[in-house]
This record gives sequence, C-alpha cells and structure tokens, in this order.
Amino acid sequence: MGRPPFFAVLKKSGIAFAAMVPLLLGVVGLVGIFQVTVTPEILASLFGGNPLADTLTGTLAGAVAAGNPLISYILGGELLRRGISLFAVTAFILSWVSLGVIQLPAEVEIFGGRFTLYRNLLSLIFTIVTALATTFTLLLLS
Amino acid sequence: MRDGSGHHPAEKPFAFRGRFFLPLVIAVYGVLFLTRPATARAALLKSGTILLKIIPILMVIILFTAAINYFLQPRRIVRHLGRESGMKAWVLSLFAGLISHGPMYIWFPLLEELRNHGMRDALIVVFFAARTIKIPLLPMMVDYFGWRFTLILSIYILVGAIIQGYLLEIFQQRR
Repeated sequence: MGRPPFFAVLKKSGIAFAAMVPLLLGVVGLVGIFQVTVTPEILASLFGGNPLADTLTGTLAGAVAAGNPLISYILGGELLRRGISLFAVTAFILSWVSLGVIQLPAEVEIFGGRFTLYRNLLSLIFTIVTALATTFTLLLLS
Repeated sequence: MRDGSGHHPAEKPFAFRGRFFLPLVIAVYGVLFLTRPATARAALLKSGTILLKIIPILMVIILFTAAINYFLQPRRIVRHLGRESGMKAWVLSLFAGLISHGPMYIWFPLLEELRNHGMRDALIVVFFAARTIKIPLLPMMVDYFGWRFTLILSIYILVGAIIQGYLLEIFQQRR
C-alpha cells in the first residue's frame, strides 16, 4: 500500500494539535496563575523541620508547584541549608517534575480518569519511596 | 480515545479539547482581574512568556508526530510499542522520557496519538516517570546536591519508572 505524502501526514498532525489548543491554553493560563500566586517563598514556609511531615509536605508542595525544575533545586538547596531533611527536599524536587496538579484536568481529558488516577498514585508513592531510598542509600554509603 | 473493547479508531471527527476547561480558566482570570488586577496582569504576562517558550517545542513535537506517522505505519507502532512489544519498547520509552524537553503537558497530544495506534499504557507511565531526570539540569543538580546524590537518585528514578510501568499493567489486568 502506498504511503501518503509527508505534507498530508504533517497536516493531519497539525490538525490534531490544533484541537488541543484550548486545552493547552487552559493549562498554560493556570500555570501562570500558580507561578504568580504560589511563590517559592510560600512553598519554603511550609516546611517545619519534622522529617516525616516535611517529606509529605515536600511531595505535596512539589505537586502544586509549577515552573522550571531548576527553581526546585535552588529552593531545595536553600531548604537543606535551613536544616530541612534530605528526605523532604528529595521528595520536593522529585514531585516538582513528576506530579502536576495543574495539568490534571488536561491529563484526565486526554488519557481518561482511570489512567490519570493510576499514574498519579504510582508517581506519588514512588516519589516518597525514591526519596527515602536515595537518602537511606546515601546514609549507608557515608 | 480508546473504547472499552480495546479497539483504536484511526479517524476521529475534529473536536476541540478543553471546551469546558478553557472557559473555566478564563472565568478565573475574570474574577482575578476584578479582585486582584495586578496579580491577574502578572499571571497573564507569565502565561504569555510560557506560551512563547513552548511554541517552538510544540512545533518540533508536531513534526516528530508527523514523522512517526509517516515512517511508522500504525501496524508497526503496535508491533514496536503495543502489547506484544518487548524489552526494547521499555528501554525506548525510558530513553524518550530522558531526552524529552519542556513541560509534561505538551507531550500529551503525541502520546495520545501513539496510544490511539496501540501504544501500551505502561510505556506512557515509563515515559513520564523517566522525565523526572532532566539531563540538561544534571550539572546544576550535582552543583547543589553533589554527584553521589545525583547518581543514586537517577538510578532509583530509572528503576522506579520501569516498576511503575509493570505495576500499572498489573492494575489494568486485575480489572
């Protein structure tokens, strides 16, 4: 069977993406609001010093945060200097990238509720597990 | 989108996605403009900046999607990324996640397209999980947290990504 010309395939892909524009604009609009209202200072103020509570706080704070992951490194470095546990900081920088509360409506619309629930649950659990495993491994090695 | 029978319709009628979501976000901006105009302006400006940043990446993804559809016919996509795919597909998803750039949501359309052609859900999970490692930012991570932390974390992320994919398949099979 003959292959359709590349331009036709490109046009089809372009149309498929055009259909996504309202969804992407919605997510970008929300990210803008979050980045302006949920500042790094607000996120940093959520940590209290209890390693267990802070690990959970770090996971949740990272999940609602939006922006370049570099900000999470800078903030994480600052939190470490303030004496916040490495468990919490690791969970924070992990969930910053792997979890996204803002994009949940888009994820549900594209992949369906069940897949989104499973993926985010797994991601949440593995954020905490990875943070614990990394910190414990570092402790063992040192 | 998939139907319950597992068939993947190749052609779908054109329909905008986010028809309710976008008006809702616009409404939030409306309320914000009335109550905190300075915040609303700043948020709008920020959104504009983000949009300008992601447009070039989106263009590349559209081209990439077209290239995949052009060179890999749906039959081959199923063979490479579908239920029958082997270890190569998992490694490919890990690698694709590692090198993928930009925010997670801009990859949704491409993954939806591949999923409609039969890509298994576990590989999407692996792709997203592997994205936690940001290769261009690794030197910064080393600078802030040390090379030992960066290396151990990266290994756990990769192993975790594969486990998450397997767990998803187990969950889905149990249904």
